[in-house]
Amino acid sequence: MTIRIEASAAAPGVAIGPAWRYPRRPTQEETAAEHDRQRSSRGAVRPKLTKAQSVAAVTDAAHRAADQLTALADRLSEAGRGDDAGIFGAQAMMATDTALLDEAIRRVRAGMDPVEAVAESATAAAEMLAAVDDELLSARSADIRDVGARIGRILRGEQPELPERPSIAVADDLPPSVTAEIPAGFLLGVALAGGSRTSHAVILARGLGIPAVVGAAGLLEAVDAATDAAVAATDAAVAAGSPAPLAIAVDGSRGEILLEPSDDDIGIFRGRADELAKRTRRAAALRDRPGATADGERVALVANIGTPDDAPRALEAGAEGVGLFRTEFLYMKRLTPPTEHEQMLAYRRVMTAFGPDRPVVIRLADVGGDKGIPYLGLPAEADPFLGGRATRLADRPHDLMRRQLRAIWQAGALAEVTPHAMAPMVATVSDVKLLLQLRDEARDDLRSKKLPCAGKMVTGIMVETPSAAIIAAELAQMVDFFSIGTNDLTQYLMAADRANASLSSLQDALHPSVLRTIAGVVRDADSAGIPVAVCGEMAGDPAGALILVGLGVDELSADAGSLDGIRAALAAVTRAELDGLSTRALASVDAESVRAIVEPYLARLTG
Amino acid sequence: MKSRDVEIRNPSGLHARPAVLFVRQATTFKSSVTLQNLATGKPPVDAKSLIAVLTAGVLTGTTVRIAADGEDETQAVAHLKAAIEGGLGEPVG
Repeated sequence: MTIRIEASAAAPGVAIGPAWRYPRRPTQEETAAEHDRQRSSRGAVRPKLTKAQSVAAVTDAAHRAADQLTALADRLSEAGRGDDAGIFGAQAMMATDTALLDEAIRRVRAGMDPVEAVAESATAAAEMLAAVDDELLSARSADIRDVGARIGRILRGEQPELPERPSIAVADDLPPSVTAEIPAGFLLGVALAGGSRTSHAVILARGLGIPAVVGAAGLLEAVDAATDAAVAATDAAVAAGSPAPLAIAVDGSRGEILLEPSDDDIGIFRGRADELAKRTRRAAALRDRPGATADGERVALVANIGTPDDAPRALEAGAEGVGLFRTEFLYMKRLTPPTEHEQMLAYRRVMTAFGPDRPVVIRLADVGGDKGIPYLGLPAEADPFLGGRATRLADRPHDLMRRQLRAIWQAGALAEVTPHAMAPMVATVSDVKLLLQLRDEARDDLRSKKLPCAGKMVTGIMVETPSAAIIAAELAQMVDFFSIGTNDLTQYLMAADRANASLSSLQDALHPSVLRTIAGVVRDADSAGIPVAVCGEMAGDPAGALILVGLGVDELSADAGSLDGIRAALAAVTRAELDGLSTRALASVDAESVRAIVEPYLARLTG
Repeated sequence: MKSRDVEIRNPSGLHARPAVLFVRQATTFKSSVTLQNLATGKPPVDAKSLIAVLTAGVLTGTTVRIAADGEDETQAVAHLKAAIEGGLGEPVG
């Protein structure tokens, strides 16, 4: 009977196949043998090594682990997987690191069993690193554990566990050494009980284009119970020594796992896989074309990016520019503010990648009390989202906005493009006056010092406070463009905290009150002759995208992975249909009715 | 014994990739070499141990003290300071 397990979608796709459980569960015989071994004295089971022999064995195993890892790194590097190669290069270095090997030898000299000594030393080193208050560094503790496990396997004379046939991996999390050594084509999908969207196995799955789900509570228990039940039901198979592996189906787009799927379920999953493949082919075929409706009205489709490293993926997805370059990454996890030069390098890199015809809109840093940035010395506030942040901090002594604007002027000059910038959290006319004043002062200062400086800066604001939406007519006279941040606009319009899950129904940007607000902003922008973009999650959702374009929005900015979907949705409708759609949506009373109105248009894509 | 202070300007601090390059260079010297994170005030760590260097938790903008003791201590300190200033394989401002 099919068992259904909910999980979080981590890498899109659908796969059906045998489950491969990692780590392997010990068989009954092995469990019994282990039990005996623990009962009898250790020396009776295997010949006791002298301390000198034990030290030599640990040293030798560590060097063999380092050699294996170096060979693995070289192989990956030749295959063009430089990032993965780097992980194993670092692991090779850890294998003979004094903090691991010398510690293990010290334990062996004190009389500990070699395997235990390595395991304890690796755990101790991993725990120390895990305690470092930086995500990037503490995440490396998994590598130390992985290296320790490898040395332990060598000491015990074991081979690494790998699947013997094309399978779906079932684990709490998969260590990088295991994922890297699974032969090509043997990994059909990944189902993790733990893990996260940034787990190494998930990143690998996305790279291979295979589905992955994470956070599947109860997965391992259910798989083990189902396996035991299957074994009990087929005594003959056990006697033959090869019980049939458990069948599992994974939907990495919806976040769904099925154990022992019925023929009907398999049919449904196969149908989804075919549909997905068809849609991916169709959407990818549109990538060379700019965003447009079926009757040819242009809608610019641009990307939201969080660091310069996101630029290649956005370009690959056919982004016609960047509508939101979040710059907070420059300010986080450090003790001093970023230098102008450092910022300039980051901005220039993205501007150069997109070139003069695909504008990159840099959002000035949206930092405040919630981000915990030590060098700003901001007081703790009861409600940072209604507190001192972004433009409201512009006149503070640390000069964040002034320095950022100088870096943007310089980056534009050096990349030979017209720089675009926008300010978040604008509420008043004086906010905009301050922005324009700082922008011009930065330019004049650079010019007086004969430093590189672009000729002009296209300057906009985010419309995300109710106040900005209400006085949009006045603000539109002062700036070159608007970008509506629908996530915050919805939160502030509805007076419902985005982070409060119990209020999630109020966080729906399709609510008519949000739509009517956006319609008003677009009307005021049109009167002033400036374009309007939307850069919230609503823009990346095909339903939201259709309504926004219906309301007259000129540009949609979304994560690179959403661009194919909204491009295909737009290409399936005409301008007249979108006009009718938005008129009916504006006249609705709740988000559910709006969704029902859009549904028939989205159904065309799957038809 | 010689020592020099230098600021880490790599965008993500001394994370795995630059730390590997740093440790690889440190091990080419005969002198014992240490690295101390001056922001945390924790004691110096063995600069020839990748695990120790990562555990020092050196974020961007942190100043570290490189100290060497041995026959090539002067070259070691000068070389490692220059390597950090050169970005350890990453673009730095």
